[in-house]
Amino acid sequence: MNVNSVNDRKARNALQATNLTKRYGEEDVIRGITFAASSGEVLGIVGPNGAGKTTLLEVLAGLTVANSGSVQWCGEILPASHRKQAMFYLPDGVKPYQDRLVLDVLNFFAGVYGHSAAEVGATIDSVELAPVLRKRICALSKGYNRRLLLALGLLTPQNVLLMDEPFDGFDLRQSRNVIQMLRKEAARGRTLILAIHQLGDAERVCDRFLLLAGGRVRGMGTLGELRMQTGLPQGSLEDIFLALT
Amino acid sequence: MRSPETFQALRAPLRPLLAKELAEIASGRALWTMLLLVCPLVGYSFFQAVSLYGEASASASRSAAAVTGLSPLDGILVPTFGSFYVAVTLLFPFVAIRVLGQERESGALRLLVQLPYSPSTLILAKLGAVMVAWVLVSIPALSTLAIWLWMGGHLAPSETLNLLFGHLLYGLLIGAVALFAATICESSATAAIVALAATIGSWVLDFTLAGRSGLAGWLAQASLTQTLRPFEQGLFSGGLVLGIAAVVCGLTALSSVWLPPGTSLAAKFARSLACVLATVVVLGIASQVRMSIDVTEDRRNSFSPADQRVLATLRLPLVVTVKLVPEDPRFADLQRNVLGKLERAVPNVSVVLAGNQPNSAGKSDAYGEIEYAYGDRSDVSRSTSPREILPLLYALAETRPPEPAQAIDYPGYPLVASADATLPWFFGGLPLLIALAWWWSRRPPSTRRSQLLKETCHEHLHKH
Repeated sequence: MNVNSVNDRKARNALQATNLTKRYGEEDVIRGITFAASSGEVLGIVGPNGAGKTTLLEVLAGLTVANSGSVQWCGEILPASHRKQAMFYLPDGVKPYQDRLVLDVLNFFAGVYGHSAAEVGATIDSVELAPVLRKRICALSKGYNRRLLLALGLLTPQNVLLMDEPFDGFDLRQSRNVIQMLRKEAARGRTLILAIHQLGDAERVCDRFLLLAGGRVRGMGTLGELRMQTGLPQGSLEDIFLALT
Repeated sequence: MRSPETFQALRAPLRPLLAKELAEIASGRALWTMLLLVCPLVGYSFFQAVSLYGEASASASRSAAAVTGLSPLDGILVPTFGSFYVAVTLLFPFVAIRVLGQERESGALRLLVQLPYSPSTLILAKLGAVMVAWVLVSIPALSTLAIWLWMGGHLAPSETLNLLFGHLLYGLLIGAVALFAATICESSATAAIVALAATIGSWVLDFTLAGRSGLAGWLAQASLTQTLRPFEQGLFSGGLVLGIAAVVCGLTALSSVWLPPGTSLAAKFARSLACVLATVVVLGIASQVRMSIDVTEDRRNSFSPADQRVLATLRLPLVVTVKLVPEDPRFADLQRNVLGKLERAVPNVSVVLAGNQPNSAGKSDAYGEIEYAYGDRSDVSRSTSPREILPLLYALAETRPPEPAQAIDYPGYPLVASADATLPWFFGGLPLLIALAWWWSRRPPSTRRSQLLKETCHEHLHKH
């Protein structure tokens, strides 16, 4: 095996999750989940509410202790305490630092990661946060709060960005803008793993899909691969999901 | 284009984290509310203390001996800062809990723990913010010192700084307790209950069990309130400072253990056990440290320097057996006048309380006796005065008593003054300044603050 092929394989499967299981009491919230994601890929974790999407992201990020399984980064086991060195997780429903101004929180993240003023400005530009920079976070609408979280995610340098319901709170036009922005981020080589319950949005933004229901993987692959798998050559993601679950 | 790289430790500057913690604590209502409440509380205590001190000074003006008993430490500082102690015990936990509780409740903690800081760095930054908050809430109490000096009062720098240091340590202790409570509890309300259970519980413990013997006495000694007593008496105790530092470090370490959400409970308990054991070991060492310095101007915690020098040469073990119950006022006298000073002066002294045995109080002729055993010689006395005890000890040790020295020339600091004029400051001026500072801290960003942004995205700001 030559060096190039080794690098190709690493680039293809930068992140590898193996047999992840999380149990609360007697219930397996996620069970035996194995998947890989490559550099620059947008992977959608798709499933209904209660499928285990959020738990899977939190286990990946090391914020929830898994009962079993491992996560590898570039072929090396990544312990939970070191996950933040490779990935950053943006949870859903977080309204951080409510008494602070949007500008202050952006400056905090920029200061932590050593971003220049130009980079902060570009991030504000990309998520269209300028109108609310001097507002307190407690006064933000759901959509602007989501944009703030996106901006914080864009300011982080980790190679993998995990996002829970990134389109929640956006209208159609805003969703399209965010999709463009996420695609740009992926084009820079960043791996995006998005937990999405709206199948239409998932279909538009993701390269590959991990279909989750009842805490188990029901299907995995590109839309084409899933169509072949289900024998639905013209099927939408919704048709495929219904067929597999 | 990014390329997948083997993960490497990320490092981040501390400045943004510290700035964020300070801004967080300043943006909360708890700090400002406590400041506003402390103003009248401390102000009225100061007013009363000055009034009583003035009355005592007026009475003492006819007797030179009575004047020497007038010490601003006892008359002004301890009662004024006593009310500050009450405020810190009851209110400061709410301020300290906010530095973590708000982030936990809003979900921001899940973002914070992913930043490139270790859990101990995050907790230390929060503890630093808590200490800054303590400095801010102590402003009303500190202003009483300035007012007292302005009124013509006297402050001895060493005993004043020692008392302030004691209160700082107490604030640090309360802050560490509250921070740990916020770390282990899901909500701020629960954390407040836990923290107040510790602070008020130990307060009640001190009230109900003080002066008792045995386990009850030991529990009373473990009360948080006890940490302030030596400082209020004008003693700087090395063992106490080390003990408080050990508890604060232990609580900080425990908070660091319990902060990260992605660690198993088994690992957290194992690390907690190690923290507790290390703290207990240091507390054990602290209990053996006998270094203490009498910082009072009147040297109330020490015998005369000549006696101190001779007593320091007594190398054999001195055992004092006290046949008194701890509740007996004579025991308090003996403790203050003799035992406390002996423990600081004689290298090897131990005190045995024999009066707490059943049927000893009032039923035995021996009750009230104090036996002093030095080497193989012993003697008995019922006195609680050093004038009688010290010659007895010199005789036991067959040591020549020092030449009678002149008593320490402590003049006393009477001051007949009225603090009426200070009430508008504590009930009006200072609260108004605090309210203005609160308003100022919540104002929208000034041009300077948003300069960085203007340089890069002024077009957007104009557009919108």
